Amino acid sequence: MSVEKGTLEIRNLSKSYVVDNNQLQILKNINITFPSGAFVSILGSSGCGKTTLLRIMLGLEKQYEGDALIDGEKIKGPGSNRGIVFQDHRLLPWLTVGENVAFGLDKLNRKEKKLLVDDHLKLVGLSGFENAYPSNLSGGMAQRVAIARALANKPEILLLDEPLGALDALTRMYMQKELERLWEFEKITMIMVTHDVEEAIYLSDKIVIMSSRPGVIKKVIDIPSARPRDRASSEFMHIKAEILKEFHLGTEYPFAYAI
Amino acid sequence: MIKKIFKRLGLKDKLLGLIVPFLLLIIWQGAVTKHLFSELLVVPPLTLLNTLIELAKSGDLSSNILASLNRVLIGFLIGASGGFILGIAMGLSPIINRTLSPLVKALQQVPEFAWMPVIILLFGIDEFAKNIFIAIGAFYPMLFNTYLGVSGVPDKYHELAQVYQYKSHRYLAKVILPSALPSIITGIRLSLGLSWVFVVGAEFFGTEAGVGFMMISGRQLFQIDVVMAGLVVIGTIGFLLNYVLQLLEKKLSGGRVAFDGGIA
Repeated sequence: MSVEKGTLEIRNLSKSYVVDNNQLQILKNINITFPSGAFVSILGSSGCGKTTLLRIMLGLEKQYEGDALIDGEKIKGPGSNRGIVFQDHRLLPWLTVGENVAFGLDKLNRKEKKLLVDDHLKLVGLSGFENAYPSNLSGGMAQRVAIARALANKPEILLLDEPLGALDALTRMYMQKELERLWEFEKITMIMVTHDVEEAIYLSDKIVIMSSRPGVIKKVIDIPSARPRDRASSEFMHIKAEILKEFHLGTEYPFAYAI
Repeated sequence: MIKKIFKRLGLKDKLLGLIVPFLLLIIWQGAVTKHLFSELLVVPPLTLLNTLIELAKSGDLSSNILASLNRVLIGFLIGASGGFILGIAMGLSPIINRTLSPLVKALQQVPEFAWMPVIILLFGIDEFAKNIFIAIGAFYPMLFNTYLGVSGVPDKYHELAQVYQYKSHRYLAKVILPSALPSIITGIRLSLGLSWVFVVGAEFFGTEAGVGFMMISGRQLFQIDVVMAGLVVIGTIGFLLNYVLQLLEKKLSGGRVAFDGGIA
């Protein structure tokens, strides 16, 4: 059985820690398929195990029951077929922007590196910044560099761990648009962990809603709406109300304010 | 105009540091001129200046300074490399750290000069013995600062290295050492500074050249002015060494200064 490149599957996955002789279940019986080329968000409040799930997909977390498969093969550790953007940009302060983008390209020669770095800085709209240092960048710019670094490696899957969580509201919305553009351009699978409902609706083909203690999948919502999406449309509002209900934050009359 | 130049060099703040030494010089000169002390025992600053010029002219001064600097360099290289390597090992491996740190901490309590008899017994009083004496002093600051830098590499960088599959020497060269660099440079500065302090001590036994030798022979011949000239030279060179290394520290670590030793 062959699987399309960039497919990630989680099967019957559970994970627990032992704290003071008490078993603490973090994830319980998780089953999801992330289809190749899709944008999927994992939505949940803090402590629901969504970041742990992402770390399992990244290969940093190896102790769990069940299976995590990429293109049908078990994930054994970090690999260049997956890229990651963390919540903090995690650029190395002693390297220039260009050197940071080239961080995962160590095995290539100078010329190949430069080509990929130039390409990806251009892609995130930061051409000409290759000699700047991270300390000279704004939060949004630094996060763009982090995205460029992850994409330069040509991953099949880009994992995003609350990538816009540290940005101010307006920069955040702008970066959501940027992420959508990059996703459409790269045509790769993107899996984003977030606690921002609107962000998830704006970007995702599919939203996986998780609840806490233990982390289980509560609901999976497909979002077939056309892109780019209008945050003010009634369809958007409806989906938002539906999701908020899952977190017991819904109201009987979600549009009462609009009347 | 002059104000501008001062500002440019950051001299305004530094001039403050010159006021007290200058006042001391005046009091010192005054005390001797008013015969509060015998001129034989307390050499007045102007005589001292003359002596320094004489020593410089005869070439004694430069040859002694060079001899001392040479000793410092070799001792520093031996001690600091040892400290650097052990610091990396202890910083990277908790097992090595737990195995060695009690011993290191105990040995560090031994005053530098208490090593002298042991060194003389083991190595005699020739050049190598002096290098070892200096190396012991240079060892600890380099060890501790390298250890601090390496063990203090943030988890998020370790994780990044893991994601991009950096291993062994690549990991060390591209992530660990650059992250620890500010600490390591501080280690070099403190270590070299101590080497210079200890070279004079090392030269107090069986030497034919060096600033310490110059002072010892000055004392034996009752040339108090030469002894005092030695003090001035030691202080000045120590100050300059520290100053230059601090500039280097700021430049190399891109403003990420780890520790300035308390005194700027």
